[in-house]
Amino acid sequence: MTTARYGLDAAALLETVRRGDPLAIARAITAIENRTVVGSELGLAVQELRGHCRTLGITGPPGAGKSSLINVLMGELLPRYRRIGVLTVDPSSPISGGAVLGDRVRMAAHSANPDVFIRSLATRGHLGGVTRTTRAVIDLLAAAGMDLVIVETVGTGQSEVEVAELTNVRIVVCAPGLGDEMQAIKAGVLEVADLLVVNKSDLPDADRTTAHLKAMLHHRGHEERRSVLQVSTLNRDGLPMLVDAIGARFAAPVERQLSVATREKSPRRNLADDVADLAAALVRESVDPRIDAIIGEMSRGALSRHDGILAVIRVLAERDVLPDAVRLDEAATG
Amino acid sequence: MPTQDTAPQPRVLLTKSFIDSHDRAIATIALALRDAAMEVVLIDYEQPEDVVTVALQEDVDIIGLSFMSGGQVETTQKIIAELERRGVADLPVVVGGIIRPFDVAALEAVGVREIFRGGAALADVVATFARLSRAYRGLV
Repeated sequence: MTTARYGLDAAALLETVRRGDPLAIARAITAIENRTVVGSELGLAVQELRGHCRTLGITGPPGAGKSSLINVLMGELLPRYRRIGVLTVDPSSPISGGAVLGDRVRMAAHSANPDVFIRSLATRGHLGGVTRTTRAVIDLLAAAGMDLVIVETVGTGQSEVEVAELTNVRIVVCAPGLGDEMQAIKAGVLEVADLLVVNKSDLPDADRTTAHLKAMLHHRGHEERRSVLQVSTLNRDGLPMLVDAIGARFAAPVERQLSVATREKSPRRNLADDVADLAAALVRESVDPRIDAIIGEMSRGALSRHDGILAVIRVLAERDVLPDAVRLDEAATG
Repeated sequence: MPTQDTAPQPRVLLTKSFIDSHDRAIATIALALRDAAMEVVLIDYEQPEDVVTVALQEDVDIIGLSFMSGGQVETTQKIIAELERRGVADLPVVVGGIIRPFDVAALEAVGVREIFRGGAALADVVATFARLSRAYRGLV
């Protein structure tokens, strides 16, 4: 069981993921989340396999109705996008590191649907509204044949905007009665939205909140491409309009889509991150007895931190660190 | 087999029927496990088979079933049968809540690893979840 669960080599796992096997997808996500060597290799391999998959980000404050909106939206989206993956992010406890992942309790209607794959992710200390490995997990779901991946962030404040870098179309879900015109013109999460959705339109304050947001867009004149829609997940009002708006945003040419300042990292920064991730996984999993020896010397004080780092880099450089790399490339093209 | 320096966080599925509105116990257990650094997925199931679908997608190491009304034996049997059918027969299942004396033999016969009734010490509950989770991951 041990080998089947965590010792599976990346190439074999990727092959079963590509066939859409739910257990393989789930275990690959665990490997990526735990940032193991296999997870790190998988994250690199699936970057090339995204295909035609679309991505939709859903963000907004806690209790605005993000999970409930996804639940009712999925019913409308499934006829258009045959296979849908959903990633729902909830915060990890800053005290214990544990988490209660309760978003999918609102999505029970889709539990039995084999075309829907839902996974709950805990932030594990990552700020920004998503997890550190969300990008790799999206790529993995795309490689598994999903036509649409929906990412639900943690309940956000004003500045958790990382989901904007990860998704093609972004929805900010707003609840009636929060804030006024001043809140609506501030920088941050409202700026990265393609669609501002006022949920709970069955409540009396909904029209006022909608008016504040529309007034904010009005200031921007013809340059403004965001739009404001009202829905009620309770009464299922406004959903067809929202689905049409999402479809139109996906269909828009790339140059008309909102560009986020940080969307494209430089190749150098990407490489730096990838090197750090893989090296860290190799050190954590003690792939070489010499690394254990270096750790021993450092804890005895015989080796400084600086020299320890250099010694580890030398060990890793000598090793054939990615024996699976070739086979992964073959699996990717084959 | 490489040894991991830090063991991965246990992932737990806690669930009860959507018909059963008694959520005090399951919430208490969820918070105790959260405070013990576990990641706890909470759902209310409509069909027993849904529990297995969610457990597979979430890649949990252990399933905890809460019963405050009926169906203790029948539901557990269905869930464990579905685990076998989908190739994860070794995924441990524990049961808690109102478990009547005459349920125990049937639950043990079907492979339930542990039964927690009202009054069970939280520390024992947490320790059992941790032990079964680690064993499932092959970390013992």
